[in-house]
Order: sequence, then structure tokens, then C-alpha cells
Amino acid sequence: MAASCHDVDPVPGKPTETGTSLLETATGAIQGFAPVNQIHQHLCAFHFYGDDMTRQVEAHHFCAHLTEDVRQCLIFDGPDAVARLIGLEYIVTEELFLTLPDDEKPLWHTHEFEVKGGVLFMPGVPGVVERRDLETVAKTYGKTIHFWQVDRGDALPLGLPQIMMALTRDGQLRQDLAECVEKKFGVSFQKERENRAYMTGPAHGIHPLANAAGKGLKTSIREVDLPDPTTRARVFT
Amino acid sequence: MASSDKKPLPTPASTGGDGGPPGKPTIMSTMMLDKGAAALQSLRPVKQINQHVCTFALYAHDPQRQVETHHFVSRLTQDVLQCPVYDSDDKNARLIGVEYIVSRKIFEALPKEEQRLWHSHAHEIKAGLWASPRVPETLEKTELADHMAGTFGKFWCTWQVDRGDRLPLGAPALMVSPQAERIATVLPDLVRKRDHKYSFSTEELKAARADVEVPADPRPGQADYWVRHHKGFAVDVVPHEMKRHARFP
Repeated sequence: MAASCHDVDPVPGKPTETGTSLLETATGAIQGFAPVNQIHQHLCAFHFYGDDMTRQVEAHHFCAHLTEDVRQCLIFDGPDAVARLIGLEYIVTEELFLTLPDDEKPLWHTHEFEVKGGVLFMPGVPGVVERRDLETVAKTYGKTIHFWQVDRGDALPLGLPQIMMALTRDGQLRQDLAECVEKKFGVSFQKERENRAYMTGPAHGIHPLANAAGKGLKTSIREVDLPDPTTRARVFT
Repeated sequence: MASSDKKPLPTPASTGGDGGPPGKPTIMSTMMLDKGAAALQSLRPVKQINQHVCTFALYAHDPQRQVETHHFVSRLTQDVLQCPVYDSDDKNARLIGVEYIVSRKIFEALPKEEQRLWHSHAHEIKAGLWASPRVPETLEKTELADHMAGTFGKFWCTWQVDRGDRLPLGAPALMVSPQAERIATVLPDLVRKRDHKYSFSTEELKAARADVEVPADPRPGQADYWVRHHKGFAVDVVPHEMKRHARFP
């Protein structure tokens, strides 16, 4: 598999020692991994930063169904064993999205364009099978948070979490990134777009508050006074 | 727009009910599609996950709010680990965040501002709070003594399940680790509940780890900043101009 489409510094640290590796082989065999074993699907797509469309990331989603209407995905920067865990995404049906408070909706994005545009795909899965699920995905909303800014070459997950957005129209996706991914996975976004022309997005159309309410957003951090420790053992209401 | 320390407005997404995620149970055809896809895809990054750690975390903006966490760990190098974090270890577990773990050497090289977001692990390991379900203590102790007790973590929580959110709402929240100070102690009921579920004893784990070595200075640089300064951290998501090279949305 070709290298990442991003230029990232290697992860710092010595190569894994034999003793550590043996111990982890043992824990891998003895322990239970039920939540992670639910992950059944690999989707590749692109995200950009809520305050900067020009910074784009190839995002490999590894998804599980929590219920029929809610998925939760781990996002890695590549499909191979050395991939960095750079973020996560939650995906919900339109029906559930509509139950979100209005100040929450802007943190979520639509999937209609990236599915219909052919740029979101499932590596290794034949189009016919892939399309069956993508028909559903096209109608969903996602909330993506990244913690590791690999597109700026960070060797470690530095800084604040970033709320990410997804493509919503032609002209947004950087050509160099698109070509790199198409080549790496042997896919043609244009061909897929044609195959997916029949699909439809959310029944009620794209909600005006979704996709950062059509504007942009960013995260910031502040120090806060801590509650008095003597008011302990209260039930959170 | 959203803040990690503000409760969401009451809506079906934010009020508990039974607390489970909304939605119908996954239907058979979805499961079949999932299984079919899984058979064709290698899911390699996920297959690297080979450790399960159960411990506790506190919200950096309100350390009296605490959660039992389940970390599923994979290793990138001898000095860097990455973990999706769930609220339980069963198949219906909710993905509540991500933690990164680094060695002291890596931590000390971080810029000061960055270090404030990281917490030490020595206390929670010595106190028996950090546990590896199903792993015999003897096996666990070598690794802990050598590595984990001296590591530092950075943990972002994206789903505040303990306040009854039925979906992941709000800004991501910084989490911090249990410490010896009173403001950072884990509620006994949470520990009891965990011990009961796994039929082990945190007290016994603590005793078994009495001779696990911790560095003379367990809190280098700005680690555990919140405890020393009695200040928490809250994250806000605010409207901001999006730099763009094309129309949006």
C-alpha cells in the first residue's frame, strides 16, 4: 500500500520491544474486545476543519452499528496496521438529527454530497454491495471530531480537538488529495458518481443549521473555577 | 454554540429515558451487510488493538463527575499508545472518547501549553484503579512497573453519558486522571460497582502494586496542571469564519 497522502512526521519513540510485544500478544489473546469487535465496516472519505476548508484530511472510518439508527466510527489516517487514530465520528439518521437541540445541529454535517459525489467509498467492497449501504448513509448526518492534525505534519496529537466538516459541493475537494486517493485505492470518483446518481439525500432536505450553519466554527479552551470539593456525593441532575 | 461544561437544552437527545442510544435494534439485513463487508475488508488498524484497560476518569471542568472507562489500546511505538475509550466492555458499549498515552520522555519534550492537557498515571496505577480485566496480576505487574506507571495521557471525551445524553452532544470535554488529592479522588461507589462486576478488589490490586516504582518527580512540567492550580478546563465550540477556497455549504 502506498504511503499516506499526507506528509507526516513519523510517530516518535523506540520500536516496540520484544517483551512488550509478547505481553501484548498475550493480552490480545486473553482479554475481551467486544466493543471493538462490533466494528464491521471500513469507509474512506474526506474531512476538513470547521474553520478551514483548505486543510483536508483523508479519513478512514472503521464503523459499528450501536443501533439501526446510530453508528460510531474510529477514524484512522490510513488503512494499514501503522495507522494513527486521529478522531472519531458518530452517524445518525435524519430522524434523530432533527431531535438535536438547535445549538448542537451546527456541529453535525450531511453526507449526501460525498456519497452521491462518489468520493466516499468502502475499500475492497464491490460497488453493488457498497451501494446498498451508501443509499442509507446518503441520508444521514455525522459529527466528526479529530484530535491529531496529521495534515499539518504533527508527529503527536497536539492541541485542541477539532470539529470537522464534510464536502457539500463540487469544487471543495482538493484535486491533489483526490487524485492521490483514487490512485492508491484504484477507484474512480467520477464513475462512482454516475453509479450513485439514483440515490437521494435526507427526506427533509439538508437542514439549514447543519454544516456549521453554513458558516464555520472552531474550538477554544478556557480555565474554570472548580466546584468546592466539600459539596461531594451529589447525584448529577 | 456548545461548551463542554454546559448542560444541553432538554430535547429527546439530551434527556435520559433509560439512557440507551436511540434507534431501533440493528436489523438483520444491516447485520448481514456489515458481516459481508467485514469479510471483504481487512480492518487492519482495528486489529492492532490488543489490550483492554478498565479505569476511571474525571471531567476536567467538574472533577466530581466521574466515569468508569474502558480503554482498548493499540501501540504505535514503544513510547506512544492510542486508545478508543468506551463506557463499558460489552458489545453495546458507547464510544465516549479517545486517549493517547506517551512515555515520560515524549511528555517532557512537549511545549508547556500542551503539557497542561495531559495527566499522569502513576497514582491510579498504584491505587489499583487501573486494571486489566482477565489478566493475571503477575503478568500485569511487569508491564506496569516498567512502563505504564511512568506514562502520561491525554483524554478527550465526546459523549457525556453520565449526565444522561442519549446522543453525543456538545463540545468535547477534557478528562483528567484520579490523583491522591481530595479533589481528585474517585467516588467509592463507582469503585465498588466496578469491583463487583469484575469480581476483583481494587484494594488488593493496590496492595499487590505496593512496590511498583514511581519516579521521584511523578508530576513533571505542567502535568496534572488542574490539581496544582485548582482550575479546570472547559472547551467551547464557537462560530468562526471558515477559510475557504470554494462555496460552502
